[in-house]
Amino acid sequence: MARVQALEARLKQLESEKSSTSSPTMQNSESVSQALLNRLEALDQRLADLEANAVLSEPETRVKQKEVWIDKGGNEYDEPKPGTKQVLTYQRERVFRRQTISEKVEEALADSDAKKVTLGVDASSITQGVFQTSGDTSEADGQTYQLASADLLFAARLAQYTTFFADVVGLSGTTPDTEVQGLTLLNGYSARLVEQNELDLREASIRTELFNQRLALTFGRLDLTNFFDRNAAANDETTQFLSDALVNNPLLGLSSNGSGIAAVYDAKNGVNFRLGFQQSDTDAKNLSDSLFTLAEVGYLARPFSLPEGNYRVWYRRDNTDTQNDAFGLSFDQKLNPGLTAFARYGNGKGDGGRDRFYSAGLEFEYGWVFNPLDTWGVGLATIDLATDQKEDLAELYYNFHLAEKLRISLNLQYITESSPGLRDSSFLLTGLRLQASF
Amino acid sequence: MLTGKCTTVLMSLMLTLGASPLPAATDMAMTSAPSDGKVLVSDPTQVLMIVNRDSNEIAFMDLKSKQMVGRTFLGNNVNPHMVMMSPDGRYVVTGGTRANKAFIIDARTLQLVKTIPVDMAPEHLAFSPDSRWYYQGNPDGDSISVIDMNSLTKVKTIAGLAEPLNVTFLPDGSKAYVGNYGAHWVGVIDAKRHELLKRIQIAPAQSRSGLDPERYLGEIKGINIAALTNDGRYLYAADSDLGLVGVIDTREDKLVTTIRVGADPWRVYMSHDGKYAITPNNGDETISIIDVQKNQVAATLDAGPDMTGVNYAAGKAFVISSTSGFIYVYDMQTLKPAGRMKIGTNVQIETATTDAGDSTLYLADSTENAVVIIDAKTQSIEKIRNVGQYPWGTHVMDSKDNYCH
Repeated sequence: MARVQALEARLKQLESEKSSTSSPTMQNSESVSQALLNRLEALDQRLADLEANAVLSEPETRVKQKEVWIDKGGNEYDEPKPGTKQVLTYQRERVFRRQTISEKVEEALADSDAKKVTLGVDASSITQGVFQTSGDTSEADGQTYQLASADLLFAARLAQYTTFFADVVGLSGTTPDTEVQGLTLLNGYSARLVEQNELDLREASIRTELFNQRLALTFGRLDLTNFFDRNAAANDETTQFLSDALVNNPLLGLSSNGSGIAAVYDAKNGVNFRLGFQQSDTDAKNLSDSLFTLAEVGYLARPFSLPEGNYRVWYRRDNTDTQNDAFGLSFDQKLNPGLTAFARYGNGKGDGGRDRFYSAGLEFEYGWVFNPLDTWGVGLATIDLATDQKEDLAELYYNFHLAEKLRISLNLQYITESSPGLRDSSFLLTGLRLQASF
Repeated sequence: MLTGKCTTVLMSLMLTLGASPLPAATDMAMTSAPSDGKVLVSDPTQVLMIVNRDSNEIAFMDLKSKQMVGRTFLGNNVNPHMVMMSPDGRYVVTGGTRANKAFIIDARTLQLVKTIPVDMAPEHLAFSPDSRWYYQGNPDGDSISVIDMNSLTKVKTIAGLAEPLNVTFLPDGSKAYVGNYGAHWVGVIDAKRHELLKRIQIAPAQSRSGLDPERYLGEIKGINIAALTNDGRYLYAADSDLGLVGVIDTREDKLVTTIRVGADPWRVYMSHDGKYAITPNNGDETISIIDVQKNQVAATLDAGPDMTGVNYAAGKAFVISSTSGFIYVYDMQTLKPAGRMKIGTNVQIETATTDAGDSTLYLADSTENAVVIIDAKTQSIEKIRNVGQYPWGTHVMDSKDNYCH
């Protein structure tokens, strides 16, 4: 304030000088005017300085990446000159940006968050009741099972376009699968996980992006089902179907997660290519044991002017004793904004012939639900093995989106198991799934 | 307050001296300072305006020669946000977010002709189609300042809004619609009397919102803009929190329908042919392409993080992913992805304008102090560097993609 008062006093002084010198000769008047203009210019500059400095925050600075040219003597130039080469450097730049304290605090918090390891939690509790409807009486009839699952997810940025990710999962409880003994799992949470009642490292990987971020490489301990045979309507046991046959194609053949590498080439033009290698045997002695090789091509299409659909075809080969191979398809096609159809097909080498797998279903969302973010779906799956064993599965689920971090689902599953020489047995399962993720 | 008082004292001194009011923008360092009376821009349709947020100026670049033709300095710490030329091509205006002032520049001489105090933190703005009224939105003041471009004076402050972000005038200039980011309604303004007539709610909060108090009470992300169809009959307004686009009939000023889009839609961008509208959904990093005839989503396609704008040119949509430094391209005939353009590494890109011929984009690249010129057909880029500090947005007269973020 003192500076402003001083400035005003000077301006008044100038005004009085101007009025006192307005009468004599023209020459004198011009020189006075010039002096005043010079003085005004000086005051203008001081005013600009005042504006620049009368800010509550400190002068704002920013470090910028700069392209400069240097010569052999280390002299730096802003423009190319003979004998110079272009290099990158960093330099602080002062800017005239007035920022509020809240903006400063937000920036500091965001900067701090960006450097931290991000932690996420995905916890679920699945309760399933089993009622046998046909076949020889099994231990599962009339039983109730509960499985609790908690995933701790860690992510951190390591370098440019390079991140680390780990998923540590703890499973505790029981699933109907040990007593129903079907060809596929009725609770997909335990898929590709061997141990229960202890912590298990589901995934730990490093991902980097190359070639203008068109090629993404992920390596470490992987679950290749996250990269292959994906499906928009049937690929997530935490929010969609619970049965593993409606989460992934069983003929992918991956029995457990393991060391591997996945490469995804995506130029963001609707076509993508994937190639992956993964060991899928917890008893493997070295990296070449039980090595699975997968390749996939994905294509985004809009047939018949429908909304978007994703069409994928994959091939798998492994170096196990039986030298199995398989191929499969995975489609999801939106029929309208609230309805998505999906289908899968798989064909693989089995004992004495070819194993076959089919699944199809529908997912319903906006317009077909009680509340805007709810979803529900119905799906059918059949696996028909070369050994004449067969399983037919139907599932209906409704997922209530209660809050941003809380969901609850109701499930109904019906499964029929057929084996040569045995009576077909069928089971009806009711399920309740609570899921919290944050 | 300091700034205003000192400026007043200086102006009074200048008038006492009998001098014509000099522009406050007398930055001795600039190379192309507007000079008194000299015409620097003879054709206002052929100049690109660049808002340089941290060098506190509007820079002007000739579209053909790609040379800077002038810069108008606004004052230290003004931090201009959005620039726009009046439809009649006479004036260029901007709101100085940190100065709480509107700045009016002569479009031919590039001289700052008037500085008008407005409400708090002026950002986005709009002109009435006849160029008479300049509506300056003041998000922190919850108001719009109405400036008469005939007298270059503020005639009214329209209060009662909630973080007004953008204003859309009807083609006949009778009404204006205000997107309120701090609420879930669109304000209808009588543009003759400059009064808030009505509030049109897009949708009530979800019935289960009571279970999510943190989400709904912590921060509100409402409506950014109500985007007009080509015929002026309907408005499409995306509500970020609700993930919905509301369709408003402008004859009756009522909600016709709502369309579910992806999570956290930033706003609606109308295609130039009027067939489609796109919402960039920052919540799930997708875009929703809405068929305007059917009022339903025609396709939901993957995109990138922190999307700040959509431009249309050469039959494609260009979606700006600010923090990734990529532009995602979509074919608007097939409604499918058509590639991704890398603008730079470790750069933040802001918004772009399309030229009137729908062939070239001018993208503000704040990290590199550059404007990136994109040939929409070949998808090739050219960077014009040193346009000013922290270019935040660009503007071309008669462009159909003049927007800000």
